[in-house]
Amino acid sequence: MHGAELLLQTSVWLRLLQGLWVTAWIALVSVGLSVPVGLIVGWLMTSRVRVVRWIMRLYLEFIRIMPQLALLFIAFYGFSRAWGLNLDATAACVVVFVLWGGAELGDLVRGALTSIPRSQYESAQMLGLNPWQTFTHVILPQALRRMLPASVNLATRIVKTTSLAVLLGVVEVIKVGQQIIDANRFQYPDGALWIYGVIFFMYFIVCWPLSIVARRLEQRWNHDD
Amino acid sequence: MTDQRQEAVPVVPVDVDAHNSNSAASDTRINQAGGLQIQGLVKQYPHSDHPVLNGISLDVPAGKVMVILGPSGSGKSTLLRTVAGLESMQGGQILMDGKPLDRHDVGMVFQSYDLFPNKTVLGNIIMAPMLVHKRSKEDATAEAMRLLERVGLADRKDAWPHELSGGQRQRVAICRALIMHPRIMLFDEVTAALDPEMVREVLDVIVELADQGLTMMIVTHEMAFARAVADRIVLLDGGKLVEQSDDAEAFFTHPQTERARQFLHTFAFERGHHAQNLDDQA
Repeated sequence: MHGAELLLQTSVWLRLLQGLWVTAWIALVSVGLSVPVGLIVGWLMTSRVRVVRWIMRLYLEFIRIMPQLALLFIAFYGFSRAWGLNLDATAACVVVFVLWGGAELGDLVRGALTSIPRSQYESAQMLGLNPWQTFTHVILPQALRRMLPASVNLATRIVKTTSLAVLLGVVEVIKVGQQIIDANRFQYPDGALWIYGVIFFMYFIVCWPLSIVARRLEQRWNHDD
Repeated sequence: MTDQRQEAVPVVPVDVDAHNSNSAASDTRINQAGGLQIQGLVKQYPHSDHPVLNGISLDVPAGKVMVILGPSGSGKSTLLRTVAGLESMQGGQILMDGKPLDRHDVGMVFQSYDLFPNKTVLGNIIMAPMLVHKRSKEDATAEAMRLLERVGLADRKDAWPHELSGGQRQRVAICRALIMHPRIMLFDEVTAALDPEMVREVLDVIVELADQGLTMMIVTHEMAFARAVADRIVLLDGGKLVEQSDDAEAFFTHPQTERARQFLHTFAFERGHHAQNLDDQA
């Protein structure tokens, strides 16, 4: 039978959507938690204390050099062996992706913060704004728009990288796809192409809105010099 | 316009102490009339041998305009930044009407076009009064519009900073500082980065503020402007006050010190002299 007929079964779609939900949940929670982590890391990276900057630099380099898969294995298997810390597979994924996203986003925040001229801080200070008002009303809005394109890029990378969760046994959209293909191997030998095709569009549907939102915001903000 | 003002300004009664340039640097008497008093101000960076400001004492009487001249590196910008509270000081004191200066009473306009790029012209002006003075948006907007009217930019209220010329940005920056009702305004080479055609529109605004009796300290390289706007003029060199005068005209025509003569001479061009210099180099 033709592989495309596999897609006529409602149950196939329901299972794929369930898998997509797991993927989207891990990605959403990871990206969501990466934002505050990234803001704090970025702020610490601009710290006046040299030791703090070094520690943050070390953290960033470590995360960048290590393959995400190795980080996942360390979090999932290593932690339980070393400290008896039994993270379930989804939690291990979220921890790793937040550590990764936080480090990368932190570097973007650092770059954006240091690119704001000192005169902006001083003008705000001369107008009587306190440091917090200066940060929230003057510096952060400018920093956010400068780092927006790279941040959206990072978010889509995190969404795509959630597929590594398969290797820890998380049943997310790719795993569900494999299960469907395996279960229908004899009935629909060429089902793989169609199932993976659907998964491709599912990833696309998750990531595409991010790009749209980013482009909208960029257009709305392009009055920034 | 500047010429008119020159005639209109009454000659400031010459205080013998202040006019005597030799005693000016060590002049620490309290000005009873009110205004800003700087006494023995010392500014030195941690890893430097020489102080940037070495015992500066001067008064800016309320409602008067002080122009600070000096070669680059003389400490004049540092002096303004220290008064503004942007730099720490290692000695001396800065008083307003005899009490330590409250930084909220100081407004400043910088050389760089430092409007907030994420806000419109109006947004730039009303942000601080709303955040700091907790004024309502309507109230702040009403005053912002009056200020914009005065500098001739009311029709640009919804423009973004990058849509404005340098001169227009500086005029907005002046409005943004004025809406906080500073008791003293500091202008740090506000026209230095502007195209020559735009210098005039900014200086005209400052002259108008002077006529309205705003207390100001101005660092500038525009000598004609300094001459027209100054009630009191000081020359800084190497972090020290070299000459002080309450008569801008006299300062320019009959400087008391050799250093002032040298400094003013760099702004005068004589063809023969210049040619000779070129010959020397060749």
